[in-house]
Amino acid sequence: MTIISAPAGSGKTSLLRTWAGRADQPYRLAMMQVQRGQQDAQQFWLTLLGAVRRACATTSHPESPAPTPEFNGPAMVGRVLSELASHGGRVMLVIDDLHELNSPEAVAQLAQLLTSLPDGVHAVLATRHDLQLRLHQLRLAGELAEIRAADLRFTERETRELLGASGITLSEAGAALLHQRTEGWAAGLRLAAIALANHPDPERFVAEFSGSNRTVAEYLLAEMLERQPDDVRDLLLRTSLLDRVNGELADLLTGRTGSERILLELEDANAFVVSLDPERTWFRYHHLFADLLRLELRRTLPEEVPALHSHAAGWFARQGQFVDAIRHTQAAGDWPGAARLLADHSFGMTLDGQAQTIQALLQAFPQGVNHPELALVRAGNDLVRGRLDEAAAHLTVAETYVETAPPDRQHRLQVAIASMKLSLARRRGHLAAVLEQAEFLASPVTGESDEDIALDSDLRAVALMNLGIVEAFSLGLPAAERHLQEGASLARRIGRPYLEVACLAQLAFASKIRPFAVTRRRCQEAIAAADRHGWGAEPIVAPALVTLAANLIWTGEFDEGERELRRTARALQTDAGPGIRMLTHIASGMLQAGHGLHREALEEFSAAEQLGSRLEGSHALANQVTGWMLAAQARAGLPAEARAALAALDGERAGAGEISNARAVICLADGDPAGALGAVQDVLDGTAPVIGYVTVVEAQVLAGLAHYKLGDQHAANQAAERALGLAESDRLVLPFAMTGSGELLEALPRHETAHAALLADILDLVHGTSLAPQEPSALPQTEELSPSELKVLRYLPTNLSRPEIASELSVSVNTVNTHVRNIYAKLQARDRSSAVQRARELRLLSAGLTR
Amino acid sequence: MPDHGLMDPAPALYVIRIRGHLGATALFAFPMMAAQRRGADTVLTGLLDQAALYGVLAEAESLGLDLLEVRQLGSQAGSSGSGPQCPA
Repeated sequence: MTIISAPAGSGKTSLLRTWAGRADQPYRLAMMQVQRGQQDAQQFWLTLLGAVRRACATTSHPESPAPTPEFNGPAMVGRVLSELASHGGRVMLVIDDLHELNSPEAVAQLAQLLTSLPDGVHAVLATRHDLQLRLHQLRLAGELAEIRAADLRFTERETRELLGASGITLSEAGAALLHQRTEGWAAGLRLAAIALANHPDPERFVAEFSGSNRTVAEYLLAEMLERQPDDVRDLLLRTSLLDRVNGELADLLTGRTGSERILLELEDANAFVVSLDPERTWFRYHHLFADLLRLELRRTLPEEVPALHSHAAGWFARQGQFVDAIRHTQAAGDWPGAARLLADHSFGMTLDGQAQTIQALLQAFPQGVNHPELALVRAGNDLVRGRLDEAAAHLTVAETYVETAPPDRQHRLQVAIASMKLSLARRRGHLAAVLEQAEFLASPVTGESDEDIALDSDLRAVALMNLGIVEAFSLGLPAAERHLQEGASLARRIGRPYLEVACLAQLAFASKIRPFAVTRRRCQEAIAAADRHGWGAEPIVAPALVTLAANLIWTGEFDEGERELRRTARALQTDAGPGIRMLTHIASGMLQAGHGLHREALEEFSAAEQLGSRLEGSHALANQVTGWMLAAQARAGLPAEARAALAALDGERAGAGEISNARAVICLADGDPAGALGAVQDVLDGTAPVIGYVTVVEAQVLAGLAHYKLGDQHAANQAAERALGLAESDRLVLPFAMTGSGELLEALPRHETAHAALLADILDLVHGTSLAPQEPSALPQTEELSPSELKVLRYLPTNLSRPEIASELSVSVNTVNTHVRNIYAKLQARDRSSAVQRARELRLLSAGLTR
Repeated sequence: MPDHGLMDPAPALYVIRIRGHLGATALFAFPMMAAQRRGADTVLTGLLDQAALYGVLAEAESLGLDLLEVRQLGSQAGSSGSGPQCPA
């Protein structure tokens, strides 16, 4: 690592820029300059990550990192490190003006990053004063290079070279005097060179300069300014209060035209004006220069300063750059105006990941001023930080104000308040409150200005997301799907990737009623979208992860399911609500039950039930959780306790299909198969309400087991066959695994089933081999099998002989032989079992279904 | 009264010596201080609490000034200090 630590004007930035501009760079450069007074850790990191991405990019337009409302510092550090590591080449991280980083959080995270840099990555930091970056280790290990003020000072010879290069003729004595007076300070020499250029009497200038005790910067700046034409001087003074300036803005503040030309000329003259973009439209003054100019402005034109700030604020607001607009409005002393601007835009700013900036802007308001619109901003701030009660209190204040607000602001405020109350209600799990607030979504997006529409769209997208989340958890999955899909596409349209990913992840979860393949695809889409932005391990994607885990477990892919569960657990490490943790326990319980580990399953389902009871209002999975918990209890050797708990359920719940199944399990555990049959009757005849058809599959299996225990083999086979039939399209394996249906299925004669392949898979699982993943393997693509070939393929896993297969399909043995030959060739298999293996990997066994 | 070594939040008189003479422009950055020229240096004097003191130092850094000395002059006459009063 290299640190350049030297006071203002020593030439640090010039050094960095010159060095970076060299053509023979073996390193990729990720370069950034910390913004003045940067208090927002996320904004700093987004800039850094963007610079790293551009440096390491393999494509020409790498995606800019997307902001998140809540900021996860350690995750961000991890993301930067992994992008650096995956590039694998030599990268130089260059951060200028590091002393401007006013966020202790960001500094600590940066220290973390710097101590974990991968090999081949070098960091160069430039700062005005030494920083707390824990550099001692590096210093001791000899891995730290330091460039300090003394190193940056010009020698006398270098001074003469500079003068020569600037076309200034000065005697050797004069140059020595100049060098002595400035002590080789770069800024001083630069200013002197500008003042000396075209000066009628350079020697006299240097003599006078030497003779004066005025601080170098002030003296030379005054000299330089004096030499400028009036319009240039005026421009420099009036625009000094901006962090950056362009021609249009400068024209506005000076009341003249032609500012752009002046700025370009100033940059060409090397006069401390630097362009910020290749097109040279935006400029910045060297901080030291700008600070002195600003002081001079306040000293000589104090009455103009508020107006200048106001004009600048208006311009920035029209450009949609609201942070600058608010800052200038505050600087102009217009607190009510600043409050209104902040209230209007804090929502969008939060979505832009500027929550900390908002906090800094809030703190800039003087103590006495408590504009009521700020209550809305404070509510949003508290909401982001999870301080729900404080947020509610502020919202109440905001609501009281709305009634007395000017009519043109009422609509906007009402929409903002409704949206925030919806977020609040969602986080608390208050469904009724959510629905109440969501009414405003029914009205179309109106708006007089683009600003109105943008704000409305932001609020709407967030509202749709929140509404969808709550609906998915409690009542209407169709409504949830609709709202989340609308939310995702709106978010995509308005360029809010975070909201889009959130909606997609929740949509995956809300897809429970869809065919499993659809759910799985949605999960994978959501996870892929999250991964693209580096949010693959964030809580936002947890609903999709846990749904995918459950999905895999349903189809018997236990190992993959377990892997996704572990991923979910990692993503939920930061504080997660009861809802998502409940889902994780349910999925774990399913996995344990599928493995036949009923005690462990009981633990998981009990935990799920506990968390479920903490959710306000009932939730859609309540009966499933309770049913499985009771079943696990019974199978774990505690049927009496299960029966007691069952009896304690209230009437409405006791009538649910999932509970009926649990009752059946208890009966079977008690050795009462007739009772079990009676218990599942209402599920089988469709009179009991069920969450989904999986409950019916389970009921059929239980009925089959009951018949089997009663010795009625025919009825048992019929029930098993029905269960297989229902499970076929989604390839459901779990209900069979959970209910320990091994005996039942083994007793089913092969030729009495149309689902031999599924049966074979289930038996494999029940006997302990985990099913192969259904993902396409890395093996080369095979030629597609024809429909007839697929039909034959499905019989290969069974132990039916070729003549038996032929009679099943009502074709000749020769036909079967031909098909089998083609199958082997196309699947590049030598024999039946490798053909089956390959077919499983390619997910072909379910492909040949006729509906 | 024993000194507990706590940061005293009450303002105190500070003297800050800077190299070079500060002109009207630079002095505008230190409205709370009185300035005097002493030789080739400028001495700024003012009543500052700790926050204000650090603000002055930061301003000096921004302007690229050379800090030579920062000194607190005695304790404020008649101040009650910030710590609990010891029994007389």
